[in-house]
Amino acid sequence: MSVLTLPAQPVRGAEPALRPVPWRRMIWVTWRQHRGMLIGVTAVLAAVSVFLLVMGLKAHHDYTSLLNCHPQDSAACAAIKRDFNNTDWPVSNTVAILIQLMPVLLGAFAGPAVLARELETGTFRYAWTQGIGRVRWTIAKLTMIGAALAILTGAVSQLYAWFFDPAREFEEMNVLAAGVFDTRGTDFAAWTLAAFAIGAFLGMLIRRIIPAMAATLGAYLGVQLLAWLVLREDYPVAIDTTNARLFSGPSTPSSPWILKTWTAGSTDWWRYIPVSRFWPMQFIESGWLLVLAIALGAATVWLVRHRAA
Amino acid sequence: MLWVTWRQHRGLLSCVLAGFAVAVAGMLYAGLKIHHDYAIAAACHPAGATSCLLLTDWFNTDWHLGNGIRVALLAAPLLLAMFAAPVVARELEGGTYRYAWTQGIGRVRWTVAKLTIIGSVVTIAALVLSQLYTWLFVPFLTTQDLTVLSPAVFDTRGAAYAAWTLTAFCLGAFLGTLIRRVLPAMAVSLCCFAALAAVTVLSLQRHYPVAAFWPRQLFESGWLLTLSAVLVAGTVRLVRRHAA
Repeated sequence: MSVLTLPAQPVRGAEPALRPVPWRRMIWVTWRQHRGMLIGVTAVLAAVSVFLLVMGLKAHHDYTSLLNCHPQDSAACAAIKRDFNNTDWPVSNTVAILIQLMPVLLGAFAGPAVLARELETGTFRYAWTQGIGRVRWTIAKLTMIGAALAILTGAVSQLYAWFFDPAREFEEMNVLAAGVFDTRGTDFAAWTLAAFAIGAFLGMLIRRIIPAMAATLGAYLGVQLLAWLVLREDYPVAIDTTNARLFSGPSTPSSPWILKTWTAGSTDWWRYIPVSRFWPMQFIESGWLLVLAIALGAATVWLVRHRAA
Repeated sequence: MLWVTWRQHRGLLSCVLAGFAVAVAGMLYAGLKIHHDYAIAAACHPAGATSCLLLTDWFNTDWHLGNGIRVALLAAPLLLAMFAAPVVARELEGGTYRYAWTQGIGRVRWTVAKLTIIGSVVTIAALVLSQLYTWLFVPFLTTQDLTVLSPAVFDTRGAAYAAWTLTAFCLGAFLGTLIRRVLPAMAVSLCCFAALAAVTVLSLQRHYPVAAFWPRQLFESGWLLTLSAVLVAGTVRLVRRHAA
């Protein structure tokens, strides 16, 4: 029967028939397969944004009235200060701790789910034998989910930076401080993207979703500690000086970050990073994180291509 | 059951034990450094001299270290809530509960034994870590204008940290049993625990004298232990009513 029905189809050349499935179809497939995660992430981030907006307006209002209060040592001003210290600061501090976990948690949930889940449950046998091919399937999903996460977290981090500014100035924190620097500018989105790439790569390597999630947490912590304790001090933005007056006086949010001091002959030397180097540092860090994410993505695709289906 | 629990959850338990060992070693190292730097800065006279200000600045870099450890310490129960979800959910999702629950020990005793063993391990580990961190943090109470009742300091001391850790584990196990699918259960446990912690911090903003530390600790540990007991009872009830 099939012998009769097959020629009934319109005869085409071999080339159009082999033409790959268009990329844009993958948008629908990616959405369809990961809609639970994508909707969940968007909903959580939307809730976080509303919270940041409401609490941020309150914190900015309270901090402005504190700054405009005269004279500063009056009882009324002390009351405003106590109020800020007891309400706005604890909220900001709690959010600061949670927000620093956001990149790695998003990476751990989204990364291994792309590949480890299909490998663990065996659905990769179906997914990887579709017309689009396993390599393009993987590239399309990694790119789309990675871009979605980077855009969403980039937007949330701008809101968070605004929300945290009063608490940061109140506590005289520097924008270069670990935990502050990471949540501002382009850095937060870059860390999220790197966490997602680590998760996807480890998922493909370990092939089991829960161990891959745990490994993602560990690996991300390792990279973050490396950046905090080793790399960040060595970005080529530091300045050496003998001018001790730069560092006298009380510490303020615009004080430089002193890396080290040493004595050569009879002169004291300081190596420091001024706050004005914030953006060069941001671009350096986001740059290497982006390179890391692309390299891990390429390694993931290589594993997909070379490990037996 | 001890052997079976270890065998089945050796991934989770060995991660907890490895994390515990790394944390103890790291905190001992950091704590000795912080106490040493603080002793030097505090002994410097006169306090206004340039050399003394340099020592104070140097000590301020230790604050990054202390604060980083604090973030990691407060994050640990959150991650535990997430990884506790598969303890029961994995058997439900994978269908292995049909085998596990029909053994001689009975499904209720099986569940209670697993929860008790893993719960005890994480609670004891948390208690040790929080005592170590309390010692590490002592200098910052002077330099950072914090008291033992400050939010995010209070929760790392006394019995509160161990109680939060136990609650995180019980919450994860309960939600895993309720939702029955590993990944959604992990995500929901994480969000629920974060929400619980955030609401607690927000609602405890009133100012207390430092003498109120132990009464506040007992109150917080008390309601967290009650919540844990309710969650364990809920888990057992769900297990008992689930069709085998």
